Amino acid sequence: MSDSDNASDLDDGPDGVRAEEEATGGTVEGAAREPDRKAPDEREAITTDEEKDDARQIVTGEARYTADYRDRFPDLAHGKVVRSDIAHGHVESVDTSAAEAMDGVYAVITPFDDVVPDTLYSSSGQSYPEPSPWDLTVLREHVRFVGDPVAAVAAEDPDTADRAARKVEVEYRERDAVFDPEAALDEDAPQLFETDDVENKQSGADYARNLESHFEGELGDVDAAFDAAEAGEGVHVVETEWETPYQSHCVPEPHATIAYTDEDDRHVFITATQVPFHTRRQISHLFDVPIRDVRVTKPRIGAGFGSKQEMAIEPITFALHLAAGRPVKLEMTRQEEFTALRFRHPMRMRMKTAVTEEGDIEAMDLYTLSNSGAYGTHGMTVANNVGTKPLPIYPRVPNVRFSGDVVHTNLPMGAAMRGYGAPQGHFAVESHMDEVARRLGLDPIEFRLRNAVREGDLDRSVAILKDDDRFERTIRSCGIRECVERGKEAIGYDDLDQPDEDHRHRGVGMALIAQGSGVAGKELGAAQVKMNEDGSFHLQVGGVDTGTGADTMFSQIAAEVLGCPPEDVVVVAADTDLTPFDYGAYASSTTYISGRAVKNAAEDAKERLLEWGATLLDEPPEVLDTGDGAVYSEETGNRVSLEEIGYEATYGDDEREHILGDGNHSTDESPPPYGAQFVDVTVNEETGEYDLNKLVFAADCGVAINPALVEGQIEGGEHMSLEYATSGGLSFDGEGNPEVQGFRQYGMPRTTDHPPMETILVETHEPTGPFGAKSIAELPTNGVPPALSNAIRDAVGVRLTELPFTDEDLRAALDARDGDD
Amino acid sequence: MDIELTINGETTTVEAGSEQDLATVLRQHGHIDVKCGCDGGTCGASKVFVDGDVRMACGMAATEAEGSDVQTVASLGTQDDLHPVQQAFVDNFAVQCGFCIPGMIVQATALLDENPDPTEREVREALDDNVCRCTGYQKPVEAVLDAAGRMREEGVAADGGRPIGGEPADDTAMGKPADAGGCCGGGCDE
Repeated sequence: MSDSDNASDLDDGPDGVRAEEEATGGTVEGAAREPDRKAPDEREAITTDEEKDDARQIVTGEARYTADYRDRFPDLAHGKVVRSDIAHGHVESVDTSAAEAMDGVYAVITPFDDVVPDTLYSSSGQSYPEPSPWDLTVLREHVRFVGDPVAAVAAEDPDTADRAARKVEVEYRERDAVFDPEAALDEDAPQLFETDDVENKQSGADYARNLESHFEGELGDVDAAFDAAEAGEGVHVVETEWETPYQSHCVPEPHATIAYTDEDDRHVFITATQVPFHTRRQISHLFDVPIRDVRVTKPRIGAGFGSKQEMAIEPITFALHLAAGRPVKLEMTRQEEFTALRFRHPMRMRMKTAVTEEGDIEAMDLYTLSNSGAYGTHGMTVANNVGTKPLPIYPRVPNVRFSGDVVHTNLPMGAAMRGYGAPQGHFAVESHMDEVARRLGLDPIEFRLRNAVREGDLDRSVAILKDDDRFERTIRSCGIRECVERGKEAIGYDDLDQPDEDHRHRGVGMALIAQGSGVAGKELGAAQVKMNEDGSFHLQVGGVDTGTGADTMFSQIAAEVLGCPPEDVVVVAADTDLTPFDYGAYASSTTYISGRAVKNAAEDAKERLLEWGATLLDEPPEVLDTGDGAVYSEETGNRVSLEEIGYEATYGDDEREHILGDGNHSTDESPPPYGAQFVDVTVNEETGEYDLNKLVFAADCGVAINPALVEGQIEGGEHMSLEYATSGGLSFDGEGNPEVQGFRQYGMPRTTDHPPMETILVETHEPTGPFGAKSIAELPTNGVPPALSNAIRDAVGVRLTELPFTDEDLRAALDARDGDD
Repeated sequence: MDIELTINGETTTVEAGSEQDLATVLRQHGHIDVKCGCDGGTCGASKVFVDGDVRMACGMAATEAEGSDVQTVASLGTQDDLHPVQQAFVDNFAVQCGFCIPGMIVQATALLDENPDPTEREVREALDDNVCRCTGYQKPVEAVLDAAGRMREEGVAADGGRPIGGEPADDTAMGKPADAGGCCGGGCDE
């Protein structure tokens, strides 16, 4: 059901009407040529729960991840990185003699070695030119956080490499450090970068103030709207502040890379990456070797969540390989993952709105201060998404401002992490909206639905930071209201039993959620289908399965078009030598962008299948279609199997052809999937302890391709979101030393920490997506913090504003409430 | 130093440093189904059976395994002939990236050996030191409950009828072959 069918809470204002008219005026790229809206009973492959193609390998332990390829390299050297133990300073000297003297040590490299380029680069696996600044070198002479790589060792085994690394003596000239982002903006604060240290194309950089980027955008006239609200009556202004911590990706498989040079003098990387093609380009840049001479392959990946959208360890591995003259494997330890790799950016946010007594939002103003840490990878772009993901939930608000500062400190670097700024932004926006409703005496859900997005709306806020209105978007699919209705029912919103004890109170909170489907205007996916004579197909696709089941999803999309079972599509993916190009697995792009490229490739091949079917059946191709392993005639019912076509096309007497299909996809579109997160909580007023009774997530991801895999994405995303709300975060001592070194200190939820979770899929049809699909992967990482903040507010009337919510925080808030009474 | 042990039924001699952990040594000898996701003894990915007990292989010295019978997830079933726990993980979509799964399946198998009819709470408690980042634990827990049901229905031992941990096949209930008779072929206390 689409939103426009769901009439109960529609309140079409003038803006909505205008947007509707504009929406029907334009044509959607591709929509006219793809009559791909299929009713559930017309679908052969896309919405079945197809077995994940690597599931049997995984459960038997045969799946090979990067480090499992060690047995292919008898002369493999093992790497180890020497890291800075001070937060800020300069390397004066590195004494490698003791390490080099050890038996079994092949190479020790430092920033001063010839094989270690001093070329600047960005580790962000982004499109070219990377929006992130080029501010890294392979090894660092100027260290900016505890954990910065200074040297590295390659040795015959991991133990020798570890011992040698400990023998590398580094002398530093220490400098003052700064750890608080607001303090870092002070002109007297220690300065992390000279302007010459960086190539930065981001807006508003001012390295004298440690400012990596400042940005702002506005729709309408926000100041005038607030002035009018302050001056007049009947409009309320509410301002709130929010704070979020570092979060670790906790990738199950720590970063790992094997680098070697093959007999054709080509440089090969077997690496746990979400971005093989970006990595190839960046290695080429950094080491000044032609792109064609670099091959990046991705085996099974023990998940990425954005941490492997970084070229984090490939350059050191390659430099070690060049120095050692043999294949080198570098694997991160869990300690390095928790201290030196990549994280979700900590942020402080301020949200201000002007709202009429009836509940119409007149103005929204959101500001974020992002702690980028020591380097700028994904600094500005993550901060941009703090606003551009959640603000479009309310696209009809006439006056909107969004601004931010991205600041360097001497702490580990933030980077891409599942949600990409949206978890921070949703915490601010969706907790704020709930607070507004409660202060105005409005129902928090009704208030939000009154203002929330509808099908046909023109969303300008997504492009608020762009000077190009081509990125404004018309919403063509939106199931947000059905998500709310079904979520309310599942959580028991209208019928909540209170505990018997007077000091225990139960409450429910809700957050509306939105994400995107790829980076608008910055994506490219490509695929090739080639037929085998037995009627099966090879699908070569650049898209990267990070463990999500993307390869299975690709096979289902191809199978739906080609009319064969998904298991007849052999997927060859994400190898820069063997597959077409792809930007990689990030920004929730894989189904929407790469999946659409697969569909296009399959349709291209299908045209050839129909031509061959026409010849063999002696009927015109226009009356033919594919299905059930054959080409069949819709008029006569005659059929010829794909296997017969395959053999005839390959070995026929008259004509021969290898049936192939090519597909590309790139677009300015990035349609938002929507969701509603519900949290049911019971608070003990005496202790501040709270128990989560249930989580419900209702998602509109368009047509869910492989619903079981989609559910898995939602449950896993909620897990991360639960951690963000209740238990995650990193801490540092006064000198910037990390206090979290492993799982023992980090609050990752375990099985028994998880409340029951219910997942609801609300189907809409997104006309620009493959068979109506939008993205799902990041959407569910956004909801638990605001929904839990709102649930606690509902239960006991206090507002928690800083993640994660501890019992002590809640107790303090309750004490403050009672003190005020 | 050389240590002798039995790995998945094959007795072998492996070289192990005095400080090396068992997971590292097993991996060096080709047992890549043993995964290492932490720096020792916290994430559960390296769980194996050592003389029938579940141990995190990365959290014990290899020398401690001298003379032991070690079984990894690879001993449970093959892709064409999965153990019921493995099959349930496949059928319930309990695997995503899969890195934690070998350890989780070993732990789940041990649980169902001891307790063929666990409650959801008991499954969650059994898996509590198996860290998973992808699934929210929802489908793995469902898979273990499903596996328990299937095994009770099919009357097979939790180990699929294969001996685990070097116990004599006729000495313990869990080691009984599936067709050994009794009420459930070995998965219960009968």
